[in-house]
Amino acid sequence: MKTLDWVVLFSTLTAIISYGLYRARGQQTTSQYLLAGRTMPWYAMALSIMATQASAITFISTTGQAYVDGMRFVQYYFGLPLAMILISVTAVPLFHRANVYTAYEFLEKRFDARVRALVSCVFLIQRGLGVGMALYAPAVVLTVILGWSEQWTILLMGCVAILYTVLGGIKAVTWTDFQQMLVMTVGMIIAFGTAISLLPPGVGFTDALRVAGAAGKVNPVTFNFDLNDRYNLFSGLIGGMFLALAYFGCDQSQVQRYLTGKSITQSRLSLLFNAVAKIPMQFFILLTGVMVFAFYTFQAPPVLFHAEKLTALQGTPGFSRIESEYKEKWQARRLAAEQMLAAETPETVERYREAHREAEAVRREALTAAKATDTNYIFLSFVTQYLPAGVVGLVMAVIFGAAMSVIAGEINSLATVSVIDLYQRFLKPQASDSHMMWASRLLTLFWGLYAVGTAQLGKTFNLSLIEAVNLLGSLFYGGLLGVFVLAFYVKHVTAGPAFWGVICGEIAIFAAARYTDIAFLWWNVIGCVVVIVSAIILQAFRGRQPATS
Amino acid sequence: PQQDEPPPFLGSWKRVYQAIGIYLVTVIVLFWVFKRSFTP
Repeated sequence: MKTLDWVVLFSTLTAIISYGLYRARGQQTTSQYLLAGRTMPWYAMALSIMATQASAITFISTTGQAYVDGMRFVQYYFGLPLAMILISVTAVPLFHRANVYTAYEFLEKRFDARVRALVSCVFLIQRGLGVGMALYAPAVVLTVILGWSEQWTILLMGCVAILYTVLGGIKAVTWTDFQQMLVMTVGMIIAFGTAISLLPPGVGFTDALRVAGAAGKVNPVTFNFDLNDRYNLFSGLIGGMFLALAYFGCDQSQVQRYLTGKSITQSRLSLLFNAVAKIPMQFFILLTGVMVFAFYTFQAPPVLFHAEKLTALQGTPGFSRIESEYKEKWQARRLAAEQMLAAETPETVERYREAHREAEAVRREALTAAKATDTNYIFLSFVTQYLPAGVVGLVMAVIFGAAMSVIAGEINSLATVSVIDLYQRFLKPQASDSHMMWASRLLTLFWGLYAVGTAQLGKTFNLSLIEAVNLLGSLFYGGLLGVFVLAFYVKHVTAGPAFWGVICGEIAIFAAARYTDIAFLWWNVIGCVVVIVSAIILQAFRGRQPATS
Repeated sequence: PQQDEPPPFLGSWKRVYQAIGIYLVTVIVLFWVFKRSFTP
């Protein structure tokens, strides 16, 4: 990071946050603080929805994933457009008309307070488990790449996000997200353009795609049906749709974005924009990763992108052999790539593929020796080493901004559920509006400090444990989706069967995760179906009970 | 829960579903063509 980069980083972040706080001034009521007084236009909500979903680690690892695994991750979003319409048709008008602060408040109107409390607690556990990870994961990467202190990186990102969220509420969060998405778009376009411009003379954009394609990286659609395979057309369309329905329809961190809309139409427009824009955006980020792969075909890459692990291993005798062998294999691959571009015949293509396989085998050996993966380090390693001064600062502002927008959205929604669904509902039902406003601010501060605290604990535990905790959080979506499907569509199911249906659904998801190899995108489908079926069966049993007794 | 709330555009939800279906099929076909063009 040069002086210009620091100037770009801090001036960008200061401008974004100042604008967010400026737009959020003069809030007097709980409704203004938690729902922006329902005055937000569709374009602000649309970009806020996208910013809340695009975390820093998503952004860093998506490009790295394209380098390692190609573009097939884009299929994860194939089910999203249909989910956006289903939510626009059902959840948006129902939530708006019910005049609720949270999605779970609606469940009490449809079922009872017990179902609302259960689902609110599920959300708090799920988000509470993940909120520290959203801070810790990017901090670890920035620490390794930039040599910053992990503790200070977490504190800086966390405290800035807490500051503008506590002061400005959801209005500050939404307008900050809006600016961050614009900066992110500009940053990605510049990074993409720079990656192409850094290709050697005579190698153009289409040549880079041919090199990546021959290595199997240009694979944005795969038609193999395999339940154990994470990303293919079918897991994306079906599993991806269920995940998007659960995430955008039942997760308060997303629902709260579109509850701030000034009308049902504005909220719907924000979701429908996301339906159309999300796949091209992810495709573009993955394409940037593919360009980085092509760049490193002609420019010597390190055998490991994780600089800390690389330095630690470089002294060991066995690793010197791996490094020199990788350099040899990379040179053979570069030569084969040049020959393939000069004359594409089955022989030159096969020679290039063979050279690529051999180079990758050596890299796998290095990763095994390091006992780590380096997917999250590839893009930022490229950015800091090859991008010009100023652009590095802009990309870092994107990473910081993405981390902060996720934290801000999560602590804002955690505080809203804590205040509305638990504190006001069960402890202080008669509290005044000014009391609730202060409770909202204090609980936002509490969840922010909790996020920073659990992220700091990440250093004590190892990263794989933190990732496991994060994965545990994603096990709850199927149950959440199931109870909302019951609420919207299965009119004859009452509170008791719905409550126990959620419990059955969660047991089914935990069993699928623990005892099978079924890919995670299918867990939500399993959980949702089990909730619905078990609730309907319990309802039928309950309906017959008086007659049999 | 469709009849009394028209969508923001295209006039009816049926048309919105059709439009998003066409969009998805187009995306998948374009991705397939893109893959075929650059994978020897």
